[in-house]
Amino acid sequence: MIRLDEVHKSFTVKDRKTRKPKRIDAVRGITLQVKPGEIYGLLGPNGAGKSTTLRMIASLMDPDAGRIEVCGLDTREKPEAVRACLGYLSTDMNVYGRFTPRELLRIFGEFQSVDPVVAERRGLHLLEKLDLADFADVKMEGFSSGQKQKVSIARALLHDPKVVIFDEPTTGLDVLTAKTVLDLLRIMRDEGRTVIVSTHVMPMVEEICDRVGIIFDGKLHGDAPPRDLLRSRNARSLDEVFFQLAAETEGGN
Amino acid sequence: MRGALLIAKKEFLELSKDRKTLFFVFVLPFLLYPAIFGMVAKMGKRDADQNRNKASRVYLVDPSGALTGLLKADPKHFELMPRPEGDVKQAIRDQKLELAVEVAPDAAEALQKQQTFTITATQDESEHTSELALKRFREALRPQEKAWIQNRLQVLNASPQLAEPVKLEVKNAADTALEVGKAMGRMLPYLLMIMMYSGSMQHGIYTTAGEKERHTLLSLMATRLPRNQIILGKLLYIFSMGVIAALLNLLSMALSIPSIAGGSGSQGALGAVAAIANPVTLGLTFLIMVPLGLFFANFILLLGVQAKNTIEAGSAITPGIFLVIFLGVFTMMPGVEKMSFLSYVPVVNVCLALRKLFSQQSNWLEYWVAFAMTVGLAGLMTFISTRLLNREKALFNA
Ligand SMILES: Nc1ncnc2c1ncn2[C@@H]1O[C@H](COP(=O)(O)OP(=O)(O)OP(=O)(O)O)[C@@H](O)[C@H]1O
Ligand SMILES: [Mg+2]
Repeated sequence: MIRLDEVHKSFTVKDRKTRKPKRIDAVRGITLQVKPGEIYGLLGPNGAGKSTTLRMIASLMDPDAGRIEVCGLDTREKPEAVRACLGYLSTDMNVYGRFTPRELLRIFGEFQSVDPVVAERRGLHLLEKLDLADFADVKMEGFSSGQKQKVSIARALLHDPKVVIFDEPTTGLDVLTAKTVLDLLRIMRDEGRTVIVSTHVMPMVEEICDRVGIIFDGKLHGDAPPRDLLRSRNARSLDEVFFQLAAETEGGN
Repeated sequence: MRGALLIAKKEFLELSKDRKTLFFVFVLPFLLYPAIFGMVAKMGKRDADQNRNKASRVYLVDPSGALTGLLKADPKHFELMPRPEGDVKQAIRDQKLELAVEVAPDAAEALQKQQTFTITATQDESEHTSELALKRFREALRPQEKAWIQNRLQVLNASPQLAEPVKLEVKNAADTALEVGKAMGRMLPYLLMIMMYSGSMQHGIYTTAGEKERHTLLSLMATRLPRNQIILGKLLYIFSMGVIAALLNLLSMALSIPSIAGGSGSQGALGAVAAIANPVTLGLTFLIMVPLGLFFANFILLLGVQAKNTIEAGSAITPGIFLVIFLGVFTMMPGVEKMSFLSYVPVVNVCLALRKLFSQQSNWLEYWVAFAMTVGLAGLMTFISTRLLNREKALFNA
């Protein structure tokens, strides 16, 4: 279970030209819920605030205002317990190049307090599903970005997390592997896990997400199942909804 | 503590996968010092051998023949040369000669009449071989001179002791153990500090700023491990690498000492080392190395955690070695052990405590003050590092 209540987050950066600090309101009052057995898709243009939102859910960042609950726990009060119950993946994470996938998974199994035998079995199972079993004992230094991403996915799911947070999971993956990842997410959902993903791939959202939220400028628009969203906006595809919203927010600002 | 141990284990596992680094950490010290010490010893020995076995070339002018016999009797040390072409001084400067000795023409006569005669020796003070030639000449002359004096005293029917009113005998109050101990006490803190700091440095950068740069830190931080455990684990690793480096380097140095002392002479020195390297001294040394190593490891960790990338961390951490060298040299200087306020300056007081420990004048209060202060400071820095790592800037503002 994920619950966000009026969450805000802003950053202060320095503008080199004006030499003045500049405030970026990355997330401006987002409220949403993801229930167990549900895949929530987070859409939005670059810099909209998707990653910031997911990082806050993963308790890697604290919100400036508002409350976030994961597995019934407040992310600010019990960050470690929250992290124990979630699996987080993002594009700015890399694997330890000196290890093989098997070694890496063994180490992270220890970090996550998974029984070594179970960790080994689960890890190999995940690698097999992601079609990387042949590389289980190869040093990751020479891995392609897609291969590294696969290992990261296995790492995020190793401890059987109740909540899955994937920030652009299919980036760098070929269509076949991307489909495998989607299948994996579907299985997660069917097992009753809470899943939230961000992506730029619209067809993927239409295919697997039970609900979508589109973030523009740190605000959430149209938090609904994809089909309802299309119907209410009289659109044929999510792309179209996206363009409509872009035009609206542009006018609104 | 379990989390910290797991993190440290991960760091060591990562290290174990890197053969070259392993070689440089664990094998190189055992090749380096024997090689350096051996080379120094060999060069020193060769130079000494060459000079000792070669006779000095001397141009002797001695018309009355008062000294010719003396020098001729010692062909091992003196080779009498014919008059050089041109200027004698120039010939010495050109190293065609080592020494020119000119004895006054009336020397034999002066001896007979019990008068003084003059010898003029020309040398090149800037040349070791020329210095040696003069030294040899002096040494050859001394017994001869004594014999002449004894002769004159005999003629006067005076006691042979007349010309020798005093005989100075010098005794050494320090035993060899104390002497070697003092020298070691001065050197050891310096060596230990440099080795510990430089041993920790690269690994500290690799495991802090390096993890940020390689984008692996986030995956570590996304696990259930508490942040303070992650910091402690990294600290443990950085500290251990410093201690390992210091111990391996010292061990290798100790093993290489016989090669520089060269066989027989080393027996005494080694015995002295064995005498001061008693379990108590070594135990106390090791004990106080712990807070010092923790201090360095924390210093490196702190700078590494706040840095965005390895180059920034390296630029901040490397100058630390100059600080360490300065501190080391400072505490080696004579007299500093008497400045009592230094006992309250962190890190410096550890060096002083070590120095006193080896010169057998240790002061328990000072030792424990140094110990406690350094531990406290190290703990404070661990706390700050944890706070720094907890800030989201550490993770997302790279
Ligand atoms: N650590 C940070 N420091 C300063 N500004 C930040 C930081 N993280 C995010 N921002 C800013 O917050 C805004 C939202 O960023 P975020 O990464 O959440 O966007 P996103 O929706 O994930 O975009 P993308 O689709 O490109 O990944 C951006 O304007 C970004 O510049
Ligand atoms: Mg993003």
